[in-house]
Amino acid sequence: MAMNRRRFLKHGLGAFGAAGLCGAFGNLRILAAAAGQQRFPIGDYKALVCIFLHGGNDSFNSIVPYSTSQYADYRSSRQVLIANGGVAFDQATIEANALSPLAAGGGLPGGLPSDGGSYGTHPALAELRGLFNSGRAAVIANVGTLLHPTTQAQYQAGTIALPPQLFSHSDQSIYWQTSRPDDANANGWGGRIADRLHAFNTGPLPMCVTLSGNNLFQRGDMVSSYAISPEGVEKMSYLGEGPESWVIPPNEDGVAAYQALLAANTQEHAFERAFADVTRNTVANYEIVDAALSAAPPLTTTFPDSSLGGQLRMAARLIQVRAALGMSRQVFFVSAGAYDTHNNQVDDQQWNLSQLSQALKAFYDATVELSVAQSVTAFTASDFGRSLGVNVDGTDHGWGGHHFVVGGAVRGKRFYGTMPSLRDNANPDDTGYGQIIPTTAVDQYAATLAAWLGVSNSEIADIFPSLANFNSADLGFLA
Amino acid sequence: MSRFIVASVALALAAGAASPLLAQAPGHRPDAGMRSGFEPAGAGPFSDDEAARFLTQATFGPTFDDIAHLRAIGYTAWLNEQFARPVSTEIPYLDWVETQPEGSNHVTDDTRLEAWTINALGTPDPSRGLTAPGDQLRQRVAFALSEIFVVSNKNGTLAYQPWALSSWYDMLATNAFGNYRQLLKDATLHPAMGIYLTHMQNQKADPTRNIRPDENYAREVLQLFSIGLVKLDTDGTPLLTGGQPIATYNQATVRGFAALLTGWNWNNTGCGPTTYVCCDESNYATCARYGYNLPSWKLPMQPIEAFHDNTSAKQLLDYSGVALPGGVLAPGGNASVELDAALDNIFLHPNVGPFIGRRLIQRLVTSNPSPAYVQRVAAAFSNNGAGVRGDLKATVRAILLDPEARYGQWLFPSTFGKLREPLVKNLQLWRAMNASSETGRIETLNPYPPIEDWYGQGPLRSTSVFNFFQPDYGHSGEISNLGLHSPEFQILTDTTAVATNNRLFSLSFCWHSDGGSCWENGHGATLYLDTARDAPLAASNPAALLDRYNLLLMSGQMSPFMRQTLLARLNGLTGSSRGRQRVQHALYLILNSPEYSVQK
Repeated sequence: MAMNRRRFLKHGLGAFGAAGLCGAFGNLRILAAAAGQQRFPIGDYKALVCIFLHGGNDSFNSIVPYSTSQYADYRSSRQVLIANGGVAFDQATIEANALSPLAAGGGLPGGLPSDGGSYGTHPALAELRGLFNSGRAAVIANVGTLLHPTTQAQYQAGTIALPPQLFSHSDQSIYWQTSRPDDANANGWGGRIADRLHAFNTGPLPMCVTLSGNNLFQRGDMVSSYAISPEGVEKMSYLGEGPESWVIPPNEDGVAAYQALLAANTQEHAFERAFADVTRNTVANYEIVDAALSAAPPLTTTFPDSSLGGQLRMAARLIQVRAALGMSRQVFFVSAGAYDTHNNQVDDQQWNLSQLSQALKAFYDATVELSVAQSVTAFTASDFGRSLGVNVDGTDHGWGGHHFVVGGAVRGKRFYGTMPSLRDNANPDDTGYGQIIPTTAVDQYAATLAAWLGVSNSEIADIFPSLANFNSADLGFLA
Repeated sequence: MSRFIVASVALALAAGAASPLLAQAPGHRPDAGMRSGFEPAGAGPFSDDEAARFLTQATFGPTFDDIAHLRAIGYTAWLNEQFARPVSTEIPYLDWVETQPEGSNHVTDDTRLEAWTINALGTPDPSRGLTAPGDQLRQRVAFALSEIFVVSNKNGTLAYQPWALSSWYDMLATNAFGNYRQLLKDATLHPAMGIYLTHMQNQKADPTRNIRPDENYAREVLQLFSIGLVKLDTDGTPLLTGGQPIATYNQATVRGFAALLTGWNWNNTGCGPTTYVCCDESNYATCARYGYNLPSWKLPMQPIEAFHDNTSAKQLLDYSGVALPGGVLAPGGNASVELDAALDNIFLHPNVGPFIGRRLIQRLVTSNPSPAYVQRVAAAFSNNGAGVRGDLKATVRAILLDPEARYGQWLFPSTFGKLREPLVKNLQLWRAMNASSETGRIETLNPYPPIEDWYGQGPLRSTSVFNFFQPDYGHSGEISNLGLHSPEFQILTDTTAVATNNRLFSLSFCWHSDGGSCWENGHGATLYLDTARDAPLAASNPAALLDRYNLLLMSGQMSPFMRQTLLARLNGLTGSSRGRQRVQHALYLILNSPEYSVQK
């Protein structure tokens, strides 16, 4: 077997590596090296972690007011208490889960909730609330897809360009991930960031890593993402080191035949070339990742035994081996589903948010263990917020919603942006039908994260062409 | 047909010119078939290769018997024969398993996959006295429909209701050769969909409690199951105004359909004091049917009028020629009457033909049909020749007998076709290799972890209503740069690329005529490949073995280069078990090769 493996590495990686050098990926790195570019100091590292909550989280039941006036507005929309079969929290429950934000200061953004209210969290967010109250997390209020700042009057009169297909899962997920509601064919903003920064990594792996399968967020013009399962690397049995390689005798001729079939740029059909490329890159990548992970000690931080916990654990493991992988900048994608709580919201959201909260806390703790807490920022994203109106024991598709950012670089314990009214009638902040009009654009949220990662101002303008329509390109929640 | 001749000549030139520097090296392009090009597309097949290629599009994979039969009777008669075959359903299998001895009578979602596999393979069904299902085309179309009309076990309720999901799949199979209008109605009223997209127990607005109708199904039935987001020309391309696509509906329309779809609840058949609670006005939102295999999981939802909105006018779809003035349905109808009005309003929208037609073409034939191909299929949808709209038989026939389906590999040799779905690869292997189990039960599609973790897909196991992959997904790089779509690439990740490969490794090497085992031991419900059928030929004449697999698996499209590469590998296997080993290596290498992986 060892013989086999060496042979494969020698022949296989040689061939596979050459593909990388010939692709746009390799060319850019060569260009960057030739130009003597080195934007980041050696050893400098930063990573963004996108936590996508598929289905549209009901953030108005995640961050909830308990101060009298704001709570009354909340209850005018969410009328029926959980105890009576509805979705509304009672005031005492929220107050018992209070957030304790800092007042604004130093002329910097962020501080108490803009409406002067007091807010708490869904009880399931205990760990995340702890991160907020200890200054490691912030709330970004009412973020959503926008092309321009949009008022209720403009929305209702149809006098302003809106993101197409508001309230549709697929489209709004796309626009959250592309931040280009003006272009249905756009790639993801994570991928566009990577297009501009990947050349500064020295290793061969893509800058974007997904723990949750292919996604639009990480698709760039030049850079694709590397998908790895939360359990780590699995190798191909036929090549000699997979789970069932022992079933067949040493197979060097078979490996050689397989490699010949997969050889770069020998296929006559575009789809065949793409299939061969994916397969070769997969093998090359898993050899590199496996070698790095095998050489690293296990994390001492314990992660919850959940899908999100497993995904974030592997993200932390890859951050742990960043030097071996030659990474100075990375973008991770993890996700959780089942947030589309049209019904049975009380139970489902309790489950969803506790998974989120526990996994995020473990992930933050792991970054502390790895001494990279200042270098890793996790943020939530979701299809949309949910409607103020209810479907008996659930809620419908909405638009704007609150989000969390977590990490040592976050100017935490603060609210950013504008808190919307949750009032049912005559609410100036909704569409007229209980869907809250965002007051912070995805572009602004994303650009703030991109700037922190090291994308230049001119690059940010290229990545987010609608950003200029908004008054602030950096929301100031990262230091 | 002159176009076809031109294309053939062009191809011949291209094949000859492909490698001028390597004149002696074997080519990477399949040899062009020799055809006059004067036959109509529906005539034929004129060779075993053509027959195998058609069966690859129309079934879960060709067998020798099917190739011979198709050659004997021709495409048209074969289609008519398949249209007439009785539907093979899953429910009877689940019921049969429940009657088995203690220990093997537990019905789960994996049992549903046993039934699915038997019907998809057409292998003898122990629940029907070992009769082999013969409705291959119907089963293939039902699977395609299940990737358009999506419900899934990735749902806290449906995960534990195999009868509900089997009933859903049976509904798709039953309607596969019926009318789309009936399919749309049966889908809308099926309790599995009512649970999955939450319109069951949807109720009219109650302003005093700020309750509004659930918009979930209203939105998806329009976006995914019928017309899509933008107005389409008859050839499926978006209509534009000022350079921009035109939305087919807006939020008011979604609200209209949501209000209309109020009042539907569980079917009350069999309910009563001694069984389970009947749904009525008093318990509208709370009556539950989560018990095991209740009849209401297999019967259409029923209305409770007190919760149906019959007082508001509903904005439905508005389009040229719409029957309702302005697309607005006046109030007053009961839930059933209004539902029929809404389904008619959707069904007659001009988008349905090109929208559904393109999706079915993508599932069966090619990811990138030309607009003219879509238009021809949409025309068949719109009128089956006897003035009937929505005839799915006519639609399927138009898809499979279109000149582009039959000759697309020569018309567009570098882009025609689709990435094969891993699940279909798996089924094709079993069909080609005459796989069977000792007991007739089949559990080989239920490994650990579940099959969707290996393949990125499993029958009715999508992670969302948007299916495993989306129709307009374009793989980054050359494919998206060419502006092409490649839906199946969405599930080809670094993870599934290895896991699928390893599953196909296990299927090729673990369970065969000589026994064998891997981590997963073989047992009575394991499918074993009939390697003994081919081992003698492989031992004596590996080139002839490759010809056999080139036909069964690749419709004769294996390039000279690939054939030479495989032959060299097979010749290197020389021991006493070389017959079986050559079969296994040939299968593995073909199944995982780029050339095979693209169905052309």
